[in-house]
Amino acid sequence: MASVEKKHDWADDEDLDETTQELPPPQRITNKDGSTTVIEYRLNDAGQKVKTTRRIRLITHKEVVNPRVAERKSWSKFGASAKDSTGPAPDTTSVGENIIFRPSTNWRKDAKAEEADPNAVAMKDKLKDKQVKTPWRPSARREAAGLPDETPAAGGAGAGKKGSYVPPALRGGPGGAGAGERMGGAGGKYGERDDLATLRVTNVSEMAEENELREMFERFGRVTRVFLAKDRDTGLAKGFAFISFADREDAVKACNKMDGWGFKHLILRVEFAKKAA
Amino acid sequence: MRPILLSGHERALTQVKYNADGDLIFSVSKDQQICVWYAHNGERLGTYHGHVGAIWTVDVEPTSTLIASGSADNTIKLWDLKSGKCLKTWEFPTAVKRVEFNEDGTKLLGVTEKRMGHLGTIVVLDIKVDVDAEQSDEKALTIVCDESKATVAGWSYLSKYIIAGHEDGSVSQYDAKTGDQLVNYNIHELGQPITDLQWAPDRSYFITASKDKTAKLVTARDLEVLKTYTADTPMNSATITVKKDFVILGGGQAAMDVTRTSARQGKFEARFYHKIFEEEVGRVRGHFGPLNTVAADPTGKSYCSGGEDGYVRVHHFDKGYFDFMYEVERERMNRLNQEEQQRQQKEAKEAAAQQKK
Repeated sequence: MASVEKKHDWADDEDLDETTQELPPPQRITNKDGSTTVIEYRLNDAGQKVKTTRRIRLITHKEVVNPRVAERKSWSKFGASAKDSTGPAPDTTSVGENIIFRPSTNWRKDAKAEEADPNAVAMKDKLKDKQVKTPWRPSARREAAGLPDETPAAGGAGAGKKGSYVPPALRGGPGGAGAGERMGGAGGKYGERDDLATLRVTNVSEMAEENELREMFERFGRVTRVFLAKDRDTGLAKGFAFISFADREDAVKACNKMDGWGFKHLILRVEFAKKAA
Repeated sequence: MRPILLSGHERALTQVKYNADGDLIFSVSKDQQICVWYAHNGERLGTYHGHVGAIWTVDVEPTSTLIASGSADNTIKLWDLKSGKCLKTWEFPTAVKRVEFNEDGTKLLGVTEKRMGHLGTIVVLDIKVDVDAEQSDEKALTIVCDESKATVAGWSYLSKYIIAGHEDGSVSQYDAKTGDQLVNYNIHELGQPITDLQWAPDRSYFITASKDKTAKLVTARDLEVLKTYTADTPMNSATITVKKDFVILGGGQAAMDVTRTSARQGKFEARFYHKIFEEEVGRVRGHFGPLNTVAADPTGKSYCSGGEDGYVRVHHFDKGYFDFMYEVERERMNRLNQEEQQRQQKEAKEAAAQQKK
């Protein structure tokens, strides 16, 4: 086994795994710091070899227990708990959320600082970024383009009051959209929409289809997104749509041309979409 | 710290209490049963059944053999702690709002409500600390509170005085032998009832909580107000922690006023104040109703609170709690350590010198 291991190329690894079912014996190494490293091998469901390395440190924790207390722990239960088995019964005892409680002379200031600290918020956003790091995300794109990341600032106001619920409409302060928190924003389905090149089309016929709209608007330039609001139950259009262009100039052209255009017996009204509040 | 939630009650908690060793927690609520829990894991040891009214108060005898409870069914009941059996029932003309054992558990005081033409009284009962003993029917002493009814009461050190907190915000001191009123001081705002009175471990001073949004630390001997802790909401309960010099206050807007306020505005938090510096050092959130009662573990490892929401929350303190120190406290500790070291070195030198001789 050992000789095979020495010679074998990494490319053969998989074959080897399949052919050799033999497992190396578990190892137990005592480290200098008093801990023990245990290395075990096992085969998983797919027949692959899995190496498990565990470092174990045994700490002997001595506790002197009051004999009266120890005696009481062995008492049998009574009353409504008479039938309960040993250990906390789930219907009467549960564990709450972790609370961080640190006495501090200026706890009031600390609590406020935590709420307002932009660094904390930025850190939070960074963490979020790490979780969903996708190249098409606007923040990633901005980073690639060397532009400053806006999310911490925008999200900062939104996530500002830590711990308290802020309705989505109020996030991001007055007038500004909380890019960090909005559904369509960071990590959302469409990424951050470029509202500058988005048209709002109203008075759309009930019978309209998304591809019809796309065809109509593609004449002016590259359309990146067509959204036609539809009733969830009937599937009929609700009468408004959003068209996003890749280029704002195309959008301007389309807006001028298509406003007042007749479509399925109705006259379309086209205007630039306002930023979502 | 992760609080342990005890949900054995269906109605608002009225009092929680640790036993002397700090391993059991007793909780009473308006739902007519007493629960006893293990403090370390929140396991329910048992329940005591027999009261037919809201239970206002409970107390544990110092050796953890007996417990007493006072209820709105106008009785004080004595229970065998271990088996849950009711050993004795004393009947009164009105509801019992507070019971407390004295330091050696041989006397029990009860505070009865002023109602239906009866004046509020403080009664003292003799207790034999034995499960099998026959308890006496007689009241050893009855103190009638004719001015303002007593809401809370307790035994001072050596069972020398009975201290009572009154509905008008005053505190009075009675001779525990004769029942004579020795003094009566208005320590809280006039007309604001005192809601709780809990003792320091040696019973030489106590803390009172009041609806006037303050809690005060008062000496038992001459009712001198040592410290005042000011909060921004009416206080229902206050307790003194051991090991660390803190007091814990619990309160919040009264149950009848809270329906339209959120948990945050309602101020349903346990507040920690430094006992000496009277400064608030932190709050613990969790209850979604006002805190009716708080109790500190006599071993200093935990505290628990009972709320109007029907939950008891047991909190075992983290390291951060024990590490907390004021700058002056830290300096003092360092100085003492240094002195100790110097002393040891000196002793070692002397010992060495003696050996040379």
